[in-house]
Amino acid sequence: MADLTQNRVVPAARAGGVTGTARDRVLLANFFKRELTTRYLGSSTGLAWALLHPLLLLAVYHFVFTTIFRAGSFGGKSFLLFVAVALWPWLAAQEALQRATVSLAHYAGLIRKVAFPPELVVYASIAATLVLQFAGYLAVLAVLAAFGEPVRFEGLLIAVPLWLILTIALTGLALLFAALQVFIRDVEHVLMPVLMILMYLTPILYPLTLVPESVRPWVAANPFGWLVERLRDALLDGKLAPQWGDAVALGVALALFLGGLWVFRRLSPHFEDFL
Amino acid sequence: MPDATPPLLRLDAVGKDYAKVDARGGRVRLVWDLLRGRAAARVFRALDGVSFDLRRGESLGIIGENGAGKSTLLKVIAGVIEPTRGRVAVGGRVGALLELGSGFHPDYTGLANIELAAALLGLAPAEIAAKRDAIIAFADIGDHINDPIKHYSSGMIVRLGFAVATTLTPDVLITDEVLAVGDESFQKKCVAWMEGYLASGGTLLLCSHSMYHVQKLCRSALWLKDGRVERYGAAADVTQAYLAFHEEKSAGAKQPMPAASAAAAGVYAIQQLDLSPGDTIAQGDEFRVAGDVYSPDGRAPVVLVGIVRADGTPVYGVATDMDGVAPQRIADDRYVFALTLPRLELLPGKYFVRVHALDPEGVRLFDHVERPLVVTGETREMGLVRLAHRWNDGAPTPCGDGDPR
Repeated sequence: MADLTQNRVVPAARAGGVTGTARDRVLLANFFKRELTTRYLGSSTGLAWALLHPLLLLAVYHFVFTTIFRAGSFGGKSFLLFVAVALWPWLAAQEALQRATVSLAHYAGLIRKVAFPPELVVYASIAATLVLQFAGYLAVLAVLAAFGEPVRFEGLLIAVPLWLILTIALTGLALLFAALQVFIRDVEHVLMPVLMILMYLTPILYPLTLVPESVRPWVAANPFGWLVERLRDALLDGKLAPQWGDAVALGVALALFLGGLWVFRRLSPHFEDFL
Repeated sequence: MPDATPPLLRLDAVGKDYAKVDARGGRVRLVWDLLRGRAAARVFRALDGVSFDLRRGESLGIIGENGAGKSTLLKVIAGVIEPTRGRVAVGGRVGALLELGSGFHPDYTGLANIELAAALLGLAPAEIAAKRDAIIAFADIGDHINDPIKHYSSGMIVRLGFAVATTLTPDVLITDEVLAVGDESFQKKCVAWMEGYLASGGTLLLCSHSMYHVQKLCRSALWLKDGRVERYGAAADVTQAYLAFHEEKSAGAKQPMPAASAAAAGVYAIQQLDLSPGDTIAQGDEFRVAGDVYSPDGRAPVVLVGIVRADGTPVYGVATDMDGVAPQRIADDRYVFALTLPRLELLPGKYFVRVHALDPEGVRLFDHVERPLVVTGETREMGLVRLAHRWNDGAPTPCGDGDPR
C-alpha cells in the first residue's frame, strides 16, 4: 500500500493508487502466465504447433538442401545440426517480434482504462515466446544428440548468455515496433516480409564461407549472423572462450533496449487515444 | 481554506488535449512530433482548467452532457492518461470502474480477471486469494465465473466489475455510469453498498446522468461543460442548475422573441403570450390564450394555437385562418389575438401550449413559443380529454369519481 499520509504527486501514465516495482512484478507474472496459457497452452494445438513449426521447417530445409541441391560440406558437420542450431533462435526472434508488435492491441481494453506501465505487456509477450522457444531449442538439441549428432552441450555455457543478449536486443526492438504499431498500423505488415528477406541474408541455411568474398563483409556485418556463428562455434565445436565481440554485442543489445524503451515511453502517454 | 487533513485527491488546473489527425501521413507526422518532444500540431481540448479537492470521506458527483469531458476527467484521476496541463495529486489507492468491463480482459475467465484486477490494484497473490471468495459472492453470477468475459452479458460484467472494485476497498472509488447498466435489484445493492462505504469513511467519485443518484450519494457535485467546470458546489445546487440549463436548452427558441431581433430577422414573431387563468388550471375551467404578434410587413399574420401532452402527443390545434378570423391590428407592425376555450376538458396532467406565428397565407411557419400547462383535478378517467358522453341513453347516473363537480 502506498503511504497514505503523504500527498503524492502522480507524474505520468503510471498514476493511480499503488504503483512501484512490487505491483509491476505481480502484474508481469500475471501477464506472462496468461500469455503462456491463452496463447500456447489454451488451444490444444497451440503448444504443439509452436514446437512443430520449426521442426517441420527444419525437415523441409534438410530435404531441399541435402537431397535436391545436394549441398556439400557445412564445416564438416551434418546439415541438420548445422541449421538447427541457428534456425531455432531466428524463428524464436521472428515470432517474438511479430507477437510483441501487436501485443498492445490485445490489451487495448486494459491500457485504455487502467493505469499500469504498458511496457509490461510487451515484456510478457517477449518472455512467453522466448521461454517456450528456448525450451524447444534444448529439446531439439537433446533429440539430435540422441540420434548421434555430435552436440557439444558444454557450449550451452556460451549459448545461454547469447540467448540472453538476444532477448535484451529483441525486447528493445519489440518496444520500438509495438509503440509505432499503435500509431502506424503498417508496421505489422512491413515486418513480416522484412524478416523473411533478412533470414535469407543471414548465414542460417549456409555457412559464411560460401558467401562470395565481395559481399561477405556485408553479410558478416549482420549482428544476427554474428550470433549464429557464435552459437555454432560453441555448440558444434565447443569453443567456450569469451570474445571481445560478446561485450560489444551486449552493449549493442543494451543500446537497442534503452533506445526502444525511450521511444516507447515517449509514445505511451498517447496510446489511450490511438489504440 | 486551510484544513488539518490533506486532500486525498487534488486537481490543480488540469487540462488534457487530444491530438487530432485525419490522414495516414498525419500519424507519421504525429509520431515524429511526439518523439521530438513537441506537442501535436492540432489538438482537441477535452479538459481545461479543472481544479478541485476531494477529502477523505467526501463524495463528489460529476455531471455533464455526453462529450463534456467526464470520462477524460475520470481517466486523468485514475492515472490512465497524463494531463497535458496542471497537476493531479493522489494520496491513496484509487479503484476505478470506468465504463463497462473496464480493467477486464475479454479473453480471460471471470476468475482470471479477478486476479488480474487485483494485481492491477497492487495486491499480493496471497491477498488476492483471500478476497476471491468475497468477490465471487458479491458478483453472484454463478458458474459463469469460469467463462471468458467476452461471453458475459453487460449486466454480468458490471456485477463482476462492481464486486471487484468494491471488495478490494480502494481509498477512492471512481465509478462511471455503472449504475445505469445493472438491473433494479443490483442497482439497489450497489447504492446500498455505496451508502455504507460512504458512511464508513470511503471517498466516492460518481459520474452519472442520474441526478437522483448524484443527489442521493454525493455531497458536492461538479458540472463539466465543454471540458471546463461550469459549476462546482453542493450537489443539490449544481444538479438543479444543470437541470434548469437543460430545460432552458430544450425550450430553446420557444421563448418569445424580442421585437428588435424579430424586426432584424424580418419574421412574424410572437412577442407576448399570456395564459389565463395561468399555467395551472382546473379541469373544465375556461382557458384563454392571448398574445401579441409582430408583423414585419404590416400584414395580418396567421396564429396557430395548439395543445400537446408533455410527451409531445398533439391533442388539439386550431389556426385563425381555419376559422376565418384574423388577429386584430393595434399598431402598424403589431397584432393581438385571443383564443378562449370555454371548458378545457383536458384530463389532469402536464401539457404544453404551443403558439405559432405563420405568414398571412398560413403557409410558412415563422415563430414558435411554448408554455407548460398543468391541468389539475381528480378523476379516474383515462386518456387525454373528456369527451361528452352519456350512458344508457340518458338514465340518471349515480355520482361517481368520474365527475368531480
